[in-house]
Amino acid sequence: MRANRLPPPKGAREDVILFTVGVFKFAIAANAVSEIRNVEGLQRFSSGAGKVEFTLERNGATYFVVNAARHLLLEPEKPTRLLILRHSPAAVLVDSTDRMTQLSVLHALPLAFHSDERRWYRGLAVLNGEVIPVVNHDAFLSKSETVVLRVKAEQLRGAAAAV
Amino acid sequence: MSGGGENSFVLFPLGSRKFALPAEKVTELAKPDRLQTFPHCTRLLTGVLTRRGRIVPVCDVAQVLVGPDTPPRKFYLIANRKFESRQEWTAIPVSGECELASGEPVAPGGRQPEYISGLLSLNDEMIQVLDLERLMAMEAGA
Repeated sequence: MRANRLPPPKGAREDVILFTVGVFKFAIAANAVSEIRNVEGLQRFSSGAGKVEFTLERNGATYFVVNAARHLLLEPEKPTRLLILRHSPAAVLVDSTDRMTQLSVLHALPLAFHSDERRWYRGLAVLNGEVIPVVNHDAFLSKSETVVLRVKAEQLRGAAAAV
Repeated sequence: MSGGGENSFVLFPLGSRKFALPAEKVTELAKPDRLQTFPHCTRLLTGVLTRRGRIVPVCDVAQVLVGPDTPPRKFYLIANRKFESRQEWTAIPVSGECELASGEPVAPGGRQPEYISGLLSLNDEMIQVLDLERLMAMEAGA
């Protein structure tokens, strides 16, 4: 009658950054984030995609700023921090960052969860008894979303140059 | 809690009604624990519990079985769900103590929902036997 144990936890110890969106706490792999900064210097961007409303120009690169609340289908509150992702054209707008910590176990997301959350999260961590989703940083912007956003950005640049 | 055979059932209350699950599907009855939530889109799941080192999803079937006006749930019935070759615990909030009963269920009539796999006649009461997998599959497709 006993259920099989979950598959062995993936990976060894992993450094993560804890952040909040609304009332929820999340973790993201520390090595996926190149910089944490404030929200100054964001440029409004009419992407047509609800979760990207701003871009950030930095070191000659354009980052598409994903509102984490909209990505997770939450009501946006007041983001104060920007996580610039490494090896990605995405930066993630979050309400606040908490601290860095180390995970020893990453639990698989239970199979009962079968919707978008399977894409959103790499798994779940338990920190001091609290269950915290570890986000899949690649899911903030898919490759196809990135292509569409780049085309849109080029169009806007072209239109601005023509004026 | 252990099943006595293929005709053993765990009866659980949801408000004034009782439902049954095959005993072999049930692992234990747990006291209320801290429900933890995070954003997700799966219907009927209200969060997770941590139990014996596992993260157990909580599936509030009362929404389907008795509607939104169910009294507060007092315990969690921990049931096994099968996902292809894997099994996973699911916690079902129930509103009172559970009982073990034996009986021979009869086939449900045509007007019963598809997630009812049989009807148990116990003490002049007809109790619906749930097919949890089908209930969840129907909700997933809804």
